[in-house]
Amino acid sequence: MKHRRLIPLIILIFLFVSTSTACSIGTKESSTLVYGLTLSPTGIDPHLNASSELGIPLASVYDTLVFRDPASGEFVPGLSETWSISPDGLTYTFFLRRGVTFHDGTIFNAQAVQANLEYVMNPDHHSQKAQFMLGPLQEVEIIDDYTVALYLSEPFAPLLDSLSDVYLGMASPVALETWGPTEYQFHQVGTGPYRFVEYIPNDKITLTRNPDYAWAPSIYQNAKAKIDTIVFRFYEDPATRAIALESGEVDVIGEIPPHDADRIAVSSDFDLYPIAIPGQPMQFFFNTKKAPTDAALVRRALIHAINRPQAVKTIFGVYSPVADSPFLASSFNLEPQESFPTYDPETAGTLLDEVGWRITDEEGHRSRNDVPLELHIVAPPWGSNSEMAQLIRADWEAIGARVTLEIAPGFGPLKEAQAEGEYHAIGINLFGTDPDLLRSFYSSTGLYNWSQFEDPEIDRLLTQAAQESLDLDARLNLYEQVSSRVQEEALVLPIRNYVNLVAVNNRVEGLHFTAQGWYPILIDLQLAP
Amino acid sequence: MVSHSDRSSIGALTTVGRRFIEGVLTAWTAVSLTFFALRLIAGDPIASLLSQGLASPDQVENLRRSLGLDAPLFVQYLNFLAGFFRGDLGTSLFTGRPVSTVIVEQLPATAQLAFAGLGFALLFGLTLGVISAWKEETPLGQFAASLAGLATALPVAFTGILGLILYRQLLVVIPLLSVVKIRRLFLPALLLGFASAGAIARVVQAGLKETMKGPYILAARARGIEHGFRLLWHALRPALPPVVSLTALEAAFLFAGTVVTETVFSRPGLGRLLVTSILQGDYPIAQGLVVLAAVFYTISHMLADILAFTIDPRLRRVT
Repeated sequence: MKHRRLIPLIILIFLFVSTSTACSIGTKESSTLVYGLTLSPTGIDPHLNASSELGIPLASVYDTLVFRDPASGEFVPGLSETWSISPDGLTYTFFLRRGVTFHDGTIFNAQAVQANLEYVMNPDHHSQKAQFMLGPLQEVEIIDDYTVALYLSEPFAPLLDSLSDVYLGMASPVALETWGPTEYQFHQVGTGPYRFVEYIPNDKITLTRNPDYAWAPSIYQNAKAKIDTIVFRFYEDPATRAIALESGEVDVIGEIPPHDADRIAVSSDFDLYPIAIPGQPMQFFFNTKKAPTDAALVRRALIHAINRPQAVKTIFGVYSPVADSPFLASSFNLEPQESFPTYDPETAGTLLDEVGWRITDEEGHRSRNDVPLELHIVAPPWGSNSEMAQLIRADWEAIGARVTLEIAPGFGPLKEAQAEGEYHAIGINLFGTDPDLLRSFYSSTGLYNWSQFEDPEIDRLLTQAAQESLDLDARLNLYEQVSSRVQEEALVLPIRNYVNLVAVNNRVEGLHFTAQGWYPILIDLQLAP
Repeated sequence: MVSHSDRSSIGALTTVGRRFIEGVLTAWTAVSLTFFALRLIAGDPIASLLSQGLASPDQVENLRRSLGLDAPLFVQYLNFLAGFFRGDLGTSLFTGRPVSTVIVEQLPATAQLAFAGLGFALLFGLTLGVISAWKEETPLGQFAASLAGLATALPVAFTGILGLILYRQLLVVIPLLSVVKIRRLFLPALLLGFASAGAIARVVQAGLKETMKGPYILAARARGIEHGFRLLWHALRPALPPVVSLTALEAAFLFAGTVVTETVFSRPGLGRLLVTSILQGDYPIAQGLVVLAAVFYTISHMLADILAFTIDPRLRRVT
């Protein structure tokens, strides 16, 4: 019976030990914030890997040559104090900031810029994103220690935007050289407000504040970071994210499902930040090479048939705006030239009647010359695309089509289904701050020209816009023409503009994001006392 | 003349040897199936690799050549097998890191979870099995039997979220729990173990009910051995070999079960690695994991055979 008396004692000791640990954490001077990430990337070297998730921690490890103001979309000095673009748009000269040191103590200079860009362009390194962001870059020349020139083979307007993104953040050439393309991701060295401490795949990324940081760009409010340590953990299952926040495991977490967001929004302990992500909306491309969607009138009818506001509300709650244009970013809001086709099933029916797709049976199914109106949708599995595709199917069935739906389990199968060409509508969208993104989707030879539409006018406009390096208004005007042409031809069914629902413990202050939308500005975060 | 103990070790060796050959064949079949199935199902890895990169068609083909993915599928397969027999599992398409390094990095987390889970599975399985056989006619026995059924029926995807929600509510009452960090290992291992306990409980229950009818139980009773002891020792021991075999299967299943558990509980590990590599089309990693699974499956079966020999002398007879 002795043991029975021991048990309360053990519990007491246990409680004592745990409270004392808790106290020691509470009174320690160093502050730690835990940030919940949503996807576990396969690799996190921004120069070589492509996940948008990696920028959430790493945008604060690296500085870029220029930064983009999130409000105005203007470029502001970063590691480059000033820059000039030659009138032909082929030469960019950067005049670099002096006195900047990498986290390993080495000096940032023109040699470092050259080493970084050559690391990215090295074909053996298989860069998945950064190398393509450099477009037609041919050569990087060191003019002097603090002046560097980039030579292009043709004008490339998105270059500054590319250079403002973390994928082209400046890394220590010594670290790049020491670790090489396979191991550098575990030993990243930049010049930013936070230092990289460690990366344990699928587990966590740890950063610590850089006390030597003295070159904050104007888009940062603080000169130095306030929080000592920031730990990033991965929460891949959406259902677990709000729970992690509410149990105090994380202080900030992105991509909260809308039904959890409702609860967070009214909570007194947590705040909800709906953050607009620039780029393309959730959208479905019509296959213009396959009947019946080869006819513009049919495509227009199919857009009219969808109750987009209702569908967006059903799936995304009150947080997502309905999309009416093929691209959205703070500096490039492409307004539709004419009013976008609204939900109007009657007009949809009339349009289909006009082109011969008439209701021919008692159940209301349409056919033309005894060929039934059949549509095949291919949807990717991510970002609620598959749920949205089901609502689209229901709306199209309501106007008399027979609809089949295929959910591709990943990007590979999606591309495969696209290459087979048996779809009438297929979902794909990418994020980005520069509308040159549209060139890959709408030009005849674009990698993502999944509507398979070939239009010399669109090609001309997109090429011209990509080369218009100096005049932003002229570019905007060209993209607006693209946008109205896309709408005229009803090539795409835009659904909603992307909003990242970020949930935050309200002891966290100062949370705001870069122009790319995904990346928090960690230097400005602080914890309420 | 061969002594009894020699004959038994020959029997054991034959079985273990047979298992080994089976294991090699299993590994080869599994890996070959994976090699072709992945390429049929998961599509073009280059498409996945460049899903965020705006490459021109020429750049796409250059990358394909550079990664050796332009060769005919059968040539790629032979190259893979050649590497496989040299002990080289290749490198990740996404990071260029050796597959073996990537797997070894994630292995400890999964092993920890799987072994802790197995411990809970045995604990729950044996307890529920014994109670449901022993107290068959009482409400307690029926409760244990239904709990075992429930354990089999409820997936970790469900119990995991439920566990997390309960844990969150519990934290409000006992904030100290967050210091103990039970959320990272205890809770997932508990739920993973629970999910695997049902099958073990069933086999224990069935085995016990069978052996309880055996003549040695009658003999034990004749010697005046009391109820509880008789049941647990005399009846349980001969009922154990199928439990051991099942546990070996369950151990393999636990490794698979970690796929969901690791995702729900945000733990690192092989399960997460497998899902990511298949979804993203990082074939070399998925293939490496299948090899590992086949090897693990073989080893756990060999161990189960040896253990069964040790527990049940009747199996040692060479026929």
